[in-house]
Amino acid sequence: MTATKKLTIARAMAESLAQEMRVDPNVFVMGEDIAQLGGVFGNTRGLLDEFGSDRIRDTPISETAFIGAGVGAAMDGMRPVVELMFVDFFGVCFDAIYNMMAKNIYFSGGNSNVPMVIMASTGGGYSDGGQHSQCLYGTFAHLPGMKVVAPSNAYDAKGLMTAAIRDNSPVIYLFHKGLQGMGWLGTEPAAINQVPEDNYVLEIGKAKTVAEGNDITIVSIGIGVHHALKAAQELKQHDISAEVIDLRSLVPLDREHIIASVKKTGRLLVVDEDYHSFGVSGEIIASVVEHDHLMLKTPPQRITFPDIPIPFSRPMEQWALPSTEKIVDACLMMKEK
Amino acid sequence: MAEVIIIPMDLWEEDEEGVITAWLVDNNTPVKVDQLVAEVMVEKIQYEINSTCDGVISILSKEDDIVSKGSIIAEVS
Repeated sequence: MTATKKLTIARAMAESLAQEMRVDPNVFVMGEDIAQLGGVFGNTRGLLDEFGSDRIRDTPISETAFIGAGVGAAMDGMRPVVELMFVDFFGVCFDAIYNMMAKNIYFSGGNSNVPMVIMASTGGGYSDGGQHSQCLYGTFAHLPGMKVVAPSNAYDAKGLMTAAIRDNSPVIYLFHKGLQGMGWLGTEPAAINQVPEDNYVLEIGKAKTVAEGNDITIVSIGIGVHHALKAAQELKQHDISAEVIDLRSLVPLDREHIIASVKKTGRLLVVDEDYHSFGVSGEIIASVVEHDHLMLKTPPQRITFPDIPIPFSRPMEQWALPSTEKIVDACLMMKEK
Repeated sequence: MAEVIIIPMDLWEEDEEGVITAWLVDNNTPVKVDQLVAEVMVEKIQYEINSTCDGVISILSKEDDIVSKGSIIAEVS
């Protein structure tokens, strides 16, 4: 058994990056404030000292330029990991992301790989306004050509980062600010867990059942997994046994895993901090219903962010966010039906 | 005889309070001298706290607790 140690997601990401950079000279990292500062969210801490400024590159504030440069480098044989500080900044660089990074393998008839990772922070809850608080899972997952992952704990964060770097296709790696262990939204202790010191790969596209139950399936990703796990504990007092699935990846989506669970429980609740309409929650519900709607005992439900810009005001934002309390209430309602 | 893990008086410059953002070891588990055990954040800057000796750690301040320079956050015995 290899040695393990307790890490935050931020440290787990940095450890994976460092270990891959030691064995593969083509891996490098760039983005805003990722070198000297170690990243606003801590996921590149210590890398500049070990690898120097050729491989840990601070960029000017032009996402258009450095995401485009990443695509070129990836097609030229490098393995860039590029940080888009807030996923909300995607607007200025989406041509590079979607028309170049995501499509160039296809456009080249498979002759050119694009082994690029974009890591971006997601999520709100700390009053940073509508342009710093979104998840946008559905925005990226909707568009073909990119894999999309979002870890809920340090163990998954390290394995998914290693898998993303080694993948020959572009990967969007979305980490939630509230789980980084950087105090932005307080600390989520369950996100800080034991991580093997050796490097390892967590296969992209595999969901995991993180709590077993028989009465209802709660499907979530990122911070929603922690809300769901707390709700599952509370629901035990109401004699409700909830199963919690951590998707870990959105693309590919592990539909088989979700369907197998709903077949057992007969009830489906999706918890997603992304916007309500046209997104991840609807896709998961549709995937289950189109497989076999007869296995559902009650209509599937979802707890999501309402279709409004994210409020800056703390009470208004907290009202809108998914929470453990909302999950408990929804499960009680579904069990009564 | 237990030794304490204390937030060093010179860890940051001003007199602001900090918050413990992560314990990187479990309570009542063995730690080694100089091992990274916790992170403290002050004004969005994170500082590392290391163990002062070998032994078993007893954590006194939880995650999200407010701490100051000189605060005792754990004992190692």
